[in-house]
Amino acid sequence: MSTVHTTADKLVDLPTLVGRIRPGDTLAVGGGLSSREPMAAIRELIRQGIDGLRVVGSAHGIDIDLLCGAGAVSATAESYVGFEHDFGAAPNYRRACESGAVRVEDSCCYTIVQQLRAAIEGLPFMPVRSARGSSFMELHPEYRTMTCPFTGQELLLVPALAPDVALLHAQYGDAHGNLRIEGPPVADLLFAKASRQVLATVERVVSTEELATLGGVTIPYFYVSAVAEVRFGAHPTACYPFYAYDRPHTKQYHEAASAGADAFAERYLAPFVHGVADHATYLERVGGAAVLDRLAGWSTDDEVWLALYADAEPAA
Amino acid sequence: MSAATEATDCTLGEAMIAALARTIRDGTLVFHGFGSPLVQLAMHVAKRTHAPDMVLVAGATYGVNPRPPFLTPTSNDWVLDRGAECALDIEELFDLAASGRMGRMFLSGVQIDRYGRTNVTRLGQGEAAKKLPGGGGGCNLSCDVEAVTLWTAAHRTRADRAGRRQFRIVESCDFVTNVGHRTADGRTRQAMGYRGGGPDRLITDLGLFDFEADGELRLIGLYPDTTVDDVLDNTAFRPRLAETIAPIPMPDAEVVGIIRALDPMHVHEHELRAEDRDRRFALGPTALPRAAVATA
Repeated sequence: MSTVHTTADKLVDLPTLVGRIRPGDTLAVGGGLSSREPMAAIRELIRQGIDGLRVVGSAHGIDIDLLCGAGAVSATAESYVGFEHDFGAAPNYRRACESGAVRVEDSCCYTIVQQLRAAIEGLPFMPVRSARGSSFMELHPEYRTMTCPFTGQELLLVPALAPDVALLHAQYGDAHGNLRIEGPPVADLLFAKASRQVLATVERVVSTEELATLGGVTIPYFYVSAVAEVRFGAHPTACYPFYAYDRPHTKQYHEAASAGADAFAERYLAPFVHGVADHATYLERVGGAAVLDRLAGWSTDDEVWLALYADAEPAA
Repeated sequence: MSAATEATDCTLGEAMIAALARTIRDGTLVFHGFGSPLVQLAMHVAKRTHAPDMVLVAGATYGVNPRPPFLTPTSNDWVLDRGAECALDIEELFDLAASGRMGRMFLSGVQIDRYGRTNVTRLGQGEAAKKLPGGGGGCNLSCDVEAVTLWTAAHRTRADRAGRRQFRIVESCDFVTNVGHRTADGRTRQAMGYRGGGPDRLITDLGLFDFEADGELRLIGLYPDTTVDDVLDNTAFRPRLAETIAPIPMPDAEVVGIIRALDPMHVHEHELRAEDRDRRFALGPTALPRAAVATA
């Protein structure tokens, strides 16, 4: 049963925010691909040893791959986990799926959208015309088909999906829990409305009046149970207008992950996750102000923006 | 645009982009998925040449008619949204396809089979299966979208160290992520009541294919440096051959200029094998209708 979250002041620190995620939760991670992933929260989740998670969502990359590499995931119902043509497949995700450590429940975007919509509308299921006839049917014995009583057409029925937690990173939020997302929202609004609670990190906590000045609220406060201000909280993914995607760091990540589970533990998890006490230490470890100022300088002009991508050669 | 006047020949990537662009009809709503730089460029080429009234919806950002200053190596980046007239959210994008408004979508696969089914989920079966990244919303769109263009830049397959070849174009996919002219268990689109018509073209690094009325793949075009034998040797089954196999039309200098200006980092070459990046062809005569180009 969904509820409303009405606490007047929801500001907490990052460890407290993440501590509300329980082992075994169904977790919807916000953002998409190389943009606005709640990476600081994910690193904190791993430090706290929260595991057995079932992750659900659309097109993801380093967020889900890192969770898999740290052994925090037991099942995945994402529609895509990879690094596109930038660096290719997601090495930890692939290893975890192939070893059986993670149960593969792959889904597709519109199917997930319809499942979230059912939860949002308080319905047990939603119909969808597509996906019948594909091999996804064998991964999802819970799907049913029915004959439409109005048209006689066969339809697929997919059950409501209400994640335990939507873990989001937004540009702005206020103490009450209102969130403002700028740029593509991906599935964040659906996640927020379908989930039992939203845990959000934000780049800047501002007043409710300031949110209105910035252009208004994207996710109303009563879906949200806790907010933590975490600057550069999406690094190494982008969180415009504050900073662009850190491609060199992502390349370093991907090389470590591609070298095997032990190499990943030694070359990435140790220095950037387990071996840093907090987010501030992480930011120093990835290059500190020199790197962060450069990523924040994307809007100077197109040449500066272009140079942010050009300095890491693509994987062969 | 100085690059346009300097182009004296084109690369394989540019020829594939032009071929992808030619599948786009003006005045229709067209969408590319993420991780598809060849297709991203093809849509911008079409919009700026023969299809100025297409509704260009960008993958990942869902921006409508953006004018990006350059192509980035990942799809969900504000660079790619620059100048967009508006943006869709994820449910609206897929609703458009489900309700019949989406005219064309582009799909690829680590396996593509004789009925145009594609696999980006899992290679092999059981314990030895290899997990692939997954298909995003491709499965839904393969059922709903009016027409689908398939592509791959990895038709040519080489033997691995053990002498095995993992063909890209196969008889039947190990896992049907996206349906083609048959479902995973062999039923037709008509029997399923899908809204869309399925794939009508497959563009590869070796040739151009269409699908016959019964849904089977057929070779209809070749590059200046490929032969029917190349196609047969690199395909896991014997594909049908059209009576007349025509040369694939090459892009003109204007199209090549658009591509080079938009992709200064050569992001689209990430899709190509290293040895294919050196394939070059003479430019074609204006490949797109002159009148349409003049209005772009």
